[in-house]
Amino acid sequence: MLGQVIVSGILSGALYAMVALGLALIFGVMRVINIAHGPLLMLGAYCTWLLYVGLGLNPLLTVPVSMAVLFVIGLVLQRTLVFRVVDAPELSSLLLTFGVSIAIVNLAQLVFTSDLRAVEYITGSWVIGRLAFSKPRVIAFLFALGVTALAFLFLQRTRLGKAIRATSQSREVAMVCGIDVGRVHMFTFGLASALAAAGGALLAVIVAIQPEMGGVWTFKSFLVIVLGGAGNYPGALLGGMLLGLVEQLASLFLTTQLSEVVAYVLLVVVLLVRPSGLLGGRQT
Amino acid sequence: MKRAVLLALGVTVVALAVYPALGTGYGVRSALQTFMWIALAGSWNIISGLTGYVSFGHVAFFGAGAYAGAILVTSAGWPWPVAALAGGVAAILLALIIGYPCLRLKGPYFAIAMLGLNEVLRALVSYFEGLTGGGNGLSLPTLDASVPIYYVMGLLAVAVTGAAYLIVTSRFGLRLMTIREDEVAAEAMGIDTFHHKLGALLLSAVGPGIAGALMARDQGYIEPLSVFPLATTVTMIVMVLFGGKGTVWGPVLGAVVLFIAQELVWARYPYVHPLLFGAIIVLVVLAMPRGVLGLLQMRYRLPRTI
Repeated sequence: MLGQVIVSGILSGALYAMVALGLALIFGVMRVINIAHGPLLMLGAYCTWLLYVGLGLNPLLTVPVSMAVLFVIGLVLQRTLVFRVVDAPELSSLLLTFGVSIAIVNLAQLVFTSDLRAVEYITGSWVIGRLAFSKPRVIAFLFALGVTALAFLFLQRTRLGKAIRATSQSREVAMVCGIDVGRVHMFTFGLASALAAAGGALLAVIVAIQPEMGGVWTFKSFLVIVLGGAGNYPGALLGGMLLGLVEQLASLFLTTQLSEVVAYVLLVVVLLVRPSGLLGGRQT
Repeated sequence: MKRAVLLALGVTVVALAVYPALGTGYGVRSALQTFMWIALAGSWNIISGLTGYVSFGHVAFFGAGAYAGAILVTSAGWPWPVAALAGGVAAILLALIIGYPCLRLKGPYFAIAMLGLNEVLRALVSYFEGLTGGGNGLSLPTLDASVPIYYVMGLLAVAVTGAAYLIVTSRFGLRLMTIREDEVAAEAMGIDTFHHKLGALLLSAVGPGIAGALMARDQGYIEPLSVFPLATTVTMIVMVLFGGKGTVWGPVLGAVVLFIAQELVWARYPYVHPLLFGAIIVLVVLAMPRGVLGLLQMRYRLPRTI
């Protein structure tokens, strides 16, 4: 039983890590907590659903498409609205992205209605020994790992990736070195939205989707970056796995209903005991 | 000038005091709701407008008060005015539990913790079915008390606004605003920022707690979805931002104007309501961060304590 819990925890943990990495990037680079992160994930899920229902595309092939669409939406959001509050007090950026998130959810309700939508792709599980591996979750896990690995490779190896890390270490020094910080901000927001979209697209295969599914993801992504240490990108991986495990353990010992409560208690306890995250400090 | 303002205030209070004897049921109900919004918006303003710590889940205090009040009325048979006070106490306790870990840190931790609090309380209420009735909700014994509740809610609105005035004009309020402008500088000046923020949060939780218990009594029935809607928090925030955050009369102005607008105009378009509110938030943050009252203050050199 415990083995099963660990398997399920790790499977969902990779998804948490990938989505949270997006939020962590925006926070690291701009010091902005994007409340609209979850709603952007929801838009990614609807992209996949539209392509699946409209064009009959294989849901896994839609993942890059959803990511590309949301990348552009993210760029536009940053270019039109968010860049205006990057240097403003925290209050402004929190409220602005909150307003954007309400508007996005409402637009989705108008366009897609509040009905539950599902992308039926693969069902069932592989059974190995006494452990069951839910097929859609394993596929989502592998995709999430792949996307996260690519994102890290991009951050480590490419010029733009290095510019992003440099900007999150010190914006002033990055500017002095000739980095176009405005462009880095735009690209970061696009990349973060694309990571959220990947999460949404993979989630569409696992669970039913609806316009209000995003809110809880903003919260969970934030919890993941608190666990890993704010501004610490590798920490997001650890935080994601940890959140997945804790939620699964909670549903084993308590009820599934309370798994969100447990995640919340986890946030409060971590803030009390180790506010700088489990890995501590900034490490980009 | 000052005398004229006080006179106008006095006339308004007297008119509202005799209104239930003259007005229609609908009118009294609308006025009661306006009082509630004034109390809610004014309370949100104390933590978020003055201190700059955004609470995205203030409705949690409203809901906690509603459940505490309703449970005490139904299970313990408390009279509703006492239960309403107990609702305020329940909200304070909740604020302590959340504020203690989250306000010790700077930055958005508090905002996000409040964002999640709503869902958590809803899940807890559904889980402890024996006490709260779970998803079936909780029915209070029938009692027609809308006129007394009208007066109590009116008092609450006055109390919250009065408290805001006292805070803004006090050293405590000045320190809160210092935290908002620059928390590091505030600390360097010797302000105990944690306890000031916590104090502001507790003060801002009482009003919604009492208002929640009063609304539960007035409506006679509560369920998780009706007392923990995200929309209530959104409305509070929009009202304060529109009127002018960090001012005494901004939340009152925002609550009255937006409630009337909502009843007269937007009630016909319920589907785009959130879109409109989202757009107002974005516009106010970008174009007039200090709200209508802030604009007037700058234009006419009005005192800061208005």
